[in-house]
Amino acid sequence: MRDFASLKLLDRTKRLFAAFGVDYPIMRRMLQVKLTMDSRRVPTVIAQTSNKKKEADTGGPLPDVNYFIRSLWLYALLGLILVPFVVMGDNYMFQAAIVFGMFMFLIATSMISDFSSVLLDLRDKSILHTKPVHPRTIHAARTVHILIYLSFLTAALAGPSLLAGAIRHGLAFLLLFLIEVVLANMLIVVLTALLYIVLLRLFDGEKLKDMINYVQILLSLVIAVGYQVVARSFEWMELQVNFLFQWWHVFVPPIWFAAPFELLLHGDRSAPTLLLTVLAVLIPVLAMLLYGKLIPVFERNLQKLADQGAMRASRKSRFADRAARLLCRTSEERTFFRFTLNMLKGEREFKLKTYPSVGFSIIFPFIFLYSAFSDMSWEDFSGSRSYITIYFSGMLIPTVAYMMKFSGTYKGAWIYGVAPVSHRQVIVTGVLKAALLRLFAPVFAALAVIFAALFGLRILPDLVAVLLAMLLYAYLCFNVFNRELPFSHAFEGATGGGGVAMFGLVLLIVAFALAHVAITFIPFGAWGYALLLLAANWFVWRRRSPVAASSSKNAAM
Amino acid sequence: MHHATEPVIVTRDLRMRYGDRYVLQGIDLEAYPGQIIGYIGPNGAGKSTTVKIMLGLVRGYTGEVKLFGQDLSEEAYAYKRRIGYVPEVVELFDNLTACEYLTFVGELYGLTYEEADSKALRLMAMFELESVYHARINSFSKGMRQKVMLIASLLHNPDVLFLDEPLSGLDANSVMVVKEIMTQLAAQGKTIFYSSHIMEVVEKISSRIILIDGGRIVADGSFEELKAQSQEGSLEQIFNQLTGFHAYKQLAEQFVSIVREG
Repeated sequence: MRDFASLKLLDRTKRLFAAFGVDYPIMRRMLQVKLTMDSRRVPTVIAQTSNKKKEADTGGPLPDVNYFIRSLWLYALLGLILVPFVVMGDNYMFQAAIVFGMFMFLIATSMISDFSSVLLDLRDKSILHTKPVHPRTIHAARTVHILIYLSFLTAALAGPSLLAGAIRHGLAFLLLFLIEVVLANMLIVVLTALLYIVLLRLFDGEKLKDMINYVQILLSLVIAVGYQVVARSFEWMELQVNFLFQWWHVFVPPIWFAAPFELLLHGDRSAPTLLLTVLAVLIPVLAMLLYGKLIPVFERNLQKLADQGAMRASRKSRFADRAARLLCRTSEERTFFRFTLNMLKGEREFKLKTYPSVGFSIIFPFIFLYSAFSDMSWEDFSGSRSYITIYFSGMLIPTVAYMMKFSGTYKGAWIYGVAPVSHRQVIVTGVLKAALLRLFAPVFAALAVIFAALFGLRILPDLVAVLLAMLLYAYLCFNVFNRELPFSHAFEGATGGGGVAMFGLVLLIVAFALAHVAITFIPFGAWGYALLLLAANWFVWRRRSPVAASSSKNAAM
Repeated sequence: MHHATEPVIVTRDLRMRYGDRYVLQGIDLEAYPGQIIGYIGPNGAGKSTTVKIMLGLVRGYTGEVKLFGQDLSEEAYAYKRRIGYVPEVVELFDNLTACEYLTFVGELYGLTYEEADSKALRLMAMFELESVYHARINSFSKGMRQKVMLIASLLHNPDVLFLDEPLSGLDANSVMVVKEIMTQLAAQGKTIFYSSHIMEVVEKISSRIILIDGGRIVADGSFEELKAQSQEGSLEQIFNQLTGFHAYKQLAEQFVSIVREG
């Protein structure tokens, strides 16, 4: 087992821990084990972006690489977003509030998404708490473990703006920024712990894991949309806002952290600035003291994660039943349709990987619509062909098609091999129909309603054509990716996300959209297009294309 | 019963409830050195809750719990040095190697790295696992993991052992070895608290059997004593009788008839 540089650094604070009654050598040993384990784990969020293909099975030990550390450049990149706000002017109240707002949001969301596994590791309970070690030492190890990562994360996120700030505003700025970043982190750690305590109180086991899952999804979405925002943020650079104190500022932490800059660097001694500065220092320190009291409460509630929670008999959904009868032709296909709906409900990792693209599919049509709208009058706009952007709702389809073969419980896939399924094709179409109904249908329905309201009912034939085009497109996507059985592979095997094929398929959406635009120049073209697509759909969906017989090779054993 | 020594475990009127459900409704027991106690009962009877209370994993009970003559207080932890524990669910940090995991656990119990390492390796070798000592545990089979768990619970030479289904996943030969290990440890004066659902094993190795049902002790004594009380031939039958379960034949008939439908 490796000795970690972070632990060697920690050794210098040995006395401090001893003063609090922590058994330092034991704590250090626990941390060493935890860090070693982390270096062998591929965190979900990062697995998404890294193209690193994991060696097949764990035959030989893989080299210990901490994927979190490896992914820090990503956070540093995010940190670059903050730089313009640091350097743009001298209005500290405004700039620093924005910088701290973004910084705290990013830290808090990644605390929840990346560190919930650390905070909520139940194995600690039966492995560590059964040992003759004072609980205080175990709690200290857990806290330090989080702090180590938090400092890496903070360094990556705040690093660029610290550097830029030092150059632009001088060393006093740097020092102040540094201290405040630490204070902000303290506040976030405590708030996160509080959030978990509340969640643990309100929900048990599975429900809580769902909540964490949704936060993770939100994070991925925000980061991606964040990149879009950066481009526009340069427009804001011109903006100069005069800061006027309002009573509610007292409840907005990023504004507290902005106040010391005004106070110390601009010499603003007004009462609101003083008040906010006091809050910026006092609240994190008080929060830290509270934290010491909270940790035992937290540990006690942690046990709930293991609890099954109140069992609610999941009755066969009537909706699923009707949909199955309507959409599937054979009973075998219906079986897989229902199975997929149930699997998709519970697959957290699947949600984590696909829901962000579901989010894009909702947002992208509007982003493009917005750029179209910004240089048109309302009459021109609603009479235009801009509704074509609804095609971007199809962006989720290739991702879903690609992800269908993965599952957190892929080992269960042996059942396909054992069960007497007559035709593999029914598995694929049943799964495809269910996935479309569950993920694409709601997005498209919502967009269609909004677009019909924006552009009028005249676009009804177009919407029908779009839907039919997307069904055809979905069939194509699934045939590109789904050579394997659904839910039969481990997520670790998921590479970057389909690569070239994925890119090609996204371009195909554009092709569909352009074809659609071209055809609308012919009178009643949309109807003709729709009929054509209907025929094409009828043809492909009835066809029994052979599915590669490469059965559940990953699932064997 | 006369015992020359002091009891290592004492509980008096131990009660525990989750919400409005009582899991334990007054458990009184004493355990002495050298005893192998088969702790049995139906699912949800409160077996693992009892053990978790003694390990300090579950708080909020009422009544008295003493280990090694010391009252179990909120802050107590040093007593755990004398306890070994094999939980029912094989929970371990399985992306560590066996060596890494075992030395870590050994150190938590107060051994030095060198002591833990040399002891762990030799114990692994006893189970013919020395070749995978440096392999990651997540590549191990169920039986191999179980052996690692057993070794982890014994490295520090504990006086009391809590074993929950310690034989699960082991092959027939290993079962023989582990049973013999338990017998010999008991002969050395160690107390073994053994939970299992396999009645034949409990019947054979336990010097004393405690049966709990619905959070209460419904039988306590050696197999012979239980047999004499209940007039039944095997522990399985005694178990059925004391937990009020007689309908197994009818239940099986119903089950089969449902299977045969359609």
